[in-house]
Amino acid sequence: MLDGIRNRTLLSVRNLSVAAGDRTILDGVSFDLQPRQILSVIGESGSGKTVLARTLASWLSPPLRVAGGEVLFEGRDLLADPAHARSLAGRKIAYVGGNPAGALDPTMTVGAQLVEKLRAVRPDIPAAKARDKAIQLLKAVRIPAAEQRFHEYPFQYSGGMMQRAMIVDALISDPALLVADNITQPLDVTVAAQILKLMRELNAEFSTAILFICSSLPVACDAADEVMVLHKGRVVERQAPAALTALPQHAYTHALIAELPTLWQGGPDRRRAPAAERPVMSVRGVSKAYETRGKSGRALVQAVRNVDFDVFSGDNFGIVGESGCGKSSLMRLLTGLERPDGGQILFKGEDVGAASPGRLRELRREFQLVLQDPYGSLPPQSSIGAILEEPLKIHRIGSRAERRDRARAAMSEVGLHPGLYESLPTGLSAGQRQRLNVARAMILEPDLLIMDETLSALDQTEQGKLLDLFERLQAQHGFTYIFISHDLTMVRQVCSRIAVMYLGEAVEVAPNGRLFFDPGHPYTRALLSAAPTLEPRRYRPEDCLLEGEPPSPIDLPPGCAFASRCPHVMDRCRRDNPALLSRGDQALAACFLNESKEAAHV
Amino acid sequence: MSSIDITAAPAEPLRERKVSARIWRLAFASIEFRIGLAVLVLLIAAAVLYPSLSGIDPVKMNIKAKLTPPLFMGEGWAWSHPLGTDQLGRDMLVRALVGLRYSLLIGVSTTVLMLLVGALVGLFAGYFGGRTDMVLMRLTDAQLSIPMIILAITILGVSRPTIPSIILVLGLAGWPVYARVMRSTAMSERKKEYVRGAMVLGATDWRIMFALILPLVLPPMAFVAVLDIARMMIFESVLGFLGLGVQPPTPTFGNIIADGRKYLMNAWWIATMPGVFMVLVLTSINLMGASLERARNAIYGGA
Repeated sequence: MLDGIRNRTLLSVRNLSVAAGDRTILDGVSFDLQPRQILSVIGESGSGKTVLARTLASWLSPPLRVAGGEVLFEGRDLLADPAHARSLAGRKIAYVGGNPAGALDPTMTVGAQLVEKLRAVRPDIPAAKARDKAIQLLKAVRIPAAEQRFHEYPFQYSGGMMQRAMIVDALISDPALLVADNITQPLDVTVAAQILKLMRELNAEFSTAILFICSSLPVACDAADEVMVLHKGRVVERQAPAALTALPQHAYTHALIAELPTLWQGGPDRRRAPAAERPVMSVRGVSKAYETRGKSGRALVQAVRNVDFDVFSGDNFGIVGESGCGKSSLMRLLTGLERPDGGQILFKGEDVGAASPGRLRELRREFQLVLQDPYGSLPPQSSIGAILEEPLKIHRIGSRAERRDRARAAMSEVGLHPGLYESLPTGLSAGQRQRLNVARAMILEPDLLIMDETLSALDQTEQGKLLDLFERLQAQHGFTYIFISHDLTMVRQVCSRIAVMYLGEAVEVAPNGRLFFDPGHPYTRALLSAAPTLEPRRYRPEDCLLEGEPPSPIDLPPGCAFASRCPHVMDRCRRDNPALLSRGDQALAACFLNESKEAAHV
Repeated sequence: MSSIDITAAPAEPLRERKVSARIWRLAFASIEFRIGLAVLVLLIAAAVLYPSLSGIDPVKMNIKAKLTPPLFMGEGWAWSHPLGTDQLGRDMLVRALVGLRYSLLIGVSTTVLMLLVGALVGLFAGYFGGRTDMVLMRLTDAQLSIPMIILAITILGVSRPTIPSIILVLGLAGWPVYARVMRSTAMSERKKEYVRGAMVLGATDWRIMFALILPLVLPPMAFVAVLDIARMMIFESVLGFLGLGVQPPTPTFGNIIADGRKYLMNAWWIATMPGVFMVLVLTSINLMGASLERARNAIYGGA
């Protein structure tokens, strides 16, 4: 490949070691990167990916320090010459991180920041020229109406657009190397797929070499020419994606591929037989709108619109959708944190939305929520024991000694050492914190546990362990789970029935197998086509992948909300909103296409 | 299938202690905390015990021994008056210690009052928001718009300036700042995930406010409030200076300084001694506060 320029290696890392104190983070990492090449670096959390990225971007802060080795960029050692390295950082070596909202200055317009960035590294470029260049690049990353968007502030951008603006920020100084650290992780699958496509195009257009760091093997294989596997600070393997998945050389890569959940083939399977009697929770035509004040005065954001489904006792129910689809609003309604504007949420026959505050508090003993953010969801200054006893204290259960015993029992049940009782959660990893969250939710012995993106902050291995834990707890205590998630592969593994949400509506509710093998809604197909997986796809992205982003939930057009992005849109879709109708075998979908298909059958 | 993995046992047995016990332990281990504690205890003990034990009357005049300098500080010093005497021959050590009693009482109780009122108002305003917030905050603004001196003159001029009324006036003037700070922190805390988590668990608003948010945001505020003890002691002096403070002959730092001002050229020690005591008290409190804060940060930071 590209033999002519092979002698002109862009980046060459030799025996790089990085340590924090006496702990080795990177251990003798060596690799080469040719111009125009995309190299993926993957590994679980703690394998040193981000440290590698930061070393290359000359952005190591104590206690991290380089313990040895060389980083040759265009033949010069960056580690030996920090002044030269600093002059390259941001100019020839650009870095994009995974938290675009934190990286953009909220008080400056995006355009001003881009111009500022360019002029900081290249003071010789006049402001007007810098501006033109920024707008041209914003167009290149497909930001709609780039001239206007140039003058907007970061909060007016969606997550995907902010990430694109960060890519522009990195590319604006024409770097030879782009270090992309986990850039797709916070994004929705359809948006992440768009960004990946964009990276490839930019790579071809601007001939930038890309070091693409991520924790998901399918994404890495999708994105790169070659994949390098990092394990405990060492490079264990480097191969082209096809070869890597077909013939992994190292045992770790092998394990990584083996535990990868699949959508359509066998693999880890934790599904339960679908239950169909005794609904624990029934959602009946629930809707919720929020009032906002925008530029054009007050407006109603329709966060949840007419959602309908049943959750059966002992079942695993999944709710999937992209960010902004109303998942979180629905979660707040289901847990009684907010009351619906219309419709009913029946928990064991009792309306949660209409219950008095006192009654709701009693009901809360029976349904609990496990939150998404392992760091923000625990009170920062309480010891683990106090966190676990809090629910018991709230509901005035047991004496002091009994509460202590129950807390310790719950700790060992979720796999936390009871000796940590008086410790603060500060020292716990994300996975351990989620275990603690689960323990807190189950200490009241509820019937229903709602998991709001509980696993999305964890890597593959941790996710698997927690899913095993959930399964065991379900077998022991007979819990019913509702998984709210954007991760189709996770939902595929555990849920027996799944609702797909789009712009506040449940567009499809179907049993697991039916949803993945015979989806009844074009949006479901689009989600499936964008899901990161190594399998041969049933739904090709070219046919189903969406362009653009969901319309704003403020001014919803009449008719089907999906009409503006749907590849099969008909005139009727723009007039009427399809209802959620049965397709047989408990499968429901809201699309006119199903009617016409059935009509064709008849 | 690997079902569960128990986390490793904690390394030190010390972790089995309660969090608050660990913080106090760590704070007490620092030399600054011990020095501060020793100085403060010594001063308080002296202020409480020395005037009665020595039997010297702080208001007894002795014109013959007037303007005696402190020990080794100029001509005519005497062992009987370690810190010298004032223009009426009253013993400065006893006067300063009695003054310390009143000043400390006023300073500490005013600050506690301010912090209490301010924190409660701010907590309610920030937590409930909306109309509650508006009413409470307009009240705060109204309070802020009245200058303290005018408030003091009105209230203390009409009623007699007793110690409780001085505490009340100073406390009334000071709470809005705390209310503002508390409101903004409560507002940002209440939107956090862990508050939502507590709501889902079924915690009442009261429980969230007083058991969850308050313990979290009060310590940093209390740390700032320690500095206000000094400010309040000085304000008391200002009131004393205007004749609205504690009335003579009862000595307070305020009226000792006011008296000593006239003799600054030939008897500098009269106005200086209250200042020296104030510095000692505040330094010791600050030393303790700082090491306590450091211990808190270390423990909550993961030590």
